[in-house]
Amino acid sequence: MWPLPLRLIHWISAALVIAALGLGTYMVWFVDDPAARFDLTQTHKSIGVTVLAFTMLRLCLRIRTTAPEAEPIAPLTQLAAKAAHLGLYVLLVLLPVSGWLMASTTPVRIPTRVFGLFDLPYPLGPDLPVFRFFHAVHVVAAILLAGLVALHVAAALVHAFCWRDRTLRRMGVG
Amino acid sequence: MAKHAMSRCCRLAAALTFVLMWSGAFGAMAAQSWRIDEAHTSIGFKIDATGFPTTRGRFRHFTGRIAIDFERPAKSSTNFTVVSASIDAGSQSYNDFVKSAVLLDVAKYPTLSFASTQVERLDPRTARVSGNLTMLGVTKPVALTVNVETDPSAKGRPVAFSATGTIKRSDFGMIFGLPLIDDTIEITVKTRALTDE
Repeated sequence: MWPLPLRLIHWISAALVIAALGLGTYMVWFVDDPAARFDLTQTHKSIGVTVLAFTMLRLCLRIRTTAPEAEPIAPLTQLAAKAAHLGLYVLLVLLPVSGWLMASTTPVRIPTRVFGLFDLPYPLGPDLPVFRFFHAVHVVAAILLAGLVALHVAAALVHAFCWRDRTLRRMGVG
Repeated sequence: MAKHAMSRCCRLAAALTFVLMWSGAFGAMAAQSWRIDEAHTSIGFKIDATGFPTTRGRFRHFTGRIAIDFERPAKSSTNFTVVSASIDAGSQSYNDFVKSAVLLDVAKYPTLSFASTQVERLDPRTARVSGNLTMLGVTKPVALTVNVETDPSAKGRPVAFSATGTIKRSDFGMIFGLPLIDDTIEITVKTRALTDE
């Protein structure tokens, strides 16, 4: 079983990522009221900053932790799982960072007030082409992360209900 | 406070009504007295943006006055002053952002003002009111088209007016968000006048 701090961060991150992806999609596609969009964007950015903070903490803990023994599965499946996990870590950093840089470089530079507590510093200045680049990165990363999260959940369910192994228990479930 | 704001609202609406009257649009009715339907007077704006919904808002506090010369309309004048901090764009946080230094900068420029310089009759129901708008400490000429939206000859019935115009905010030094936030701001003033007869 993974250590308790890593398990907690895993589940908290899962909830936050689903919230950020859902909120981001909802506010862009379904919210036509500018004031509501403004407020939801602040919440979306606040969640994203929290995801990044948890991910950095998680990576620090992860490199100091030996993974629990994996269930015996086919080498190719094992490789795919490792690639998916690596992809999740990469996207958990890339998505909030690209959002942060979007907020930094947009000509509509609105302070990111994290849950109303403090303003996130902006490392870059407004630059429309750079903003458009990071916007594209953010969108693509969000789609990839949503796909990988779905794959991750599907794989966990396969482990639990098809193969009936202890993989899900390593994360404290079952 | 609310009563005071209503009173100012009335004065502004009266000013706009009289602008139309002395423009010749209602020459035969110039002697009529009008009172303003306070609940139907507003100063609003609209601005589009890329990747963000169109923002529509209004100013809740304003004052206005009018000087009328029915014989020589060109001698008449009107002006009004809008309290910048009274902007309502839909939520407190959004209002605070619009009021911040990058946009209205209400701490430094607490008011926006308009003073007419010319009134030109376009047709029996339309007039063009030209004047100077001062925003962010910059004064530029703007023109509003004023329309009468109901029949003013129907006694006892309210008469609705709407004044519309556009400004380029960059002319006033408001460059934040360009080009993702449009340069053009559409201004709409709506009011409704009631005859006492």
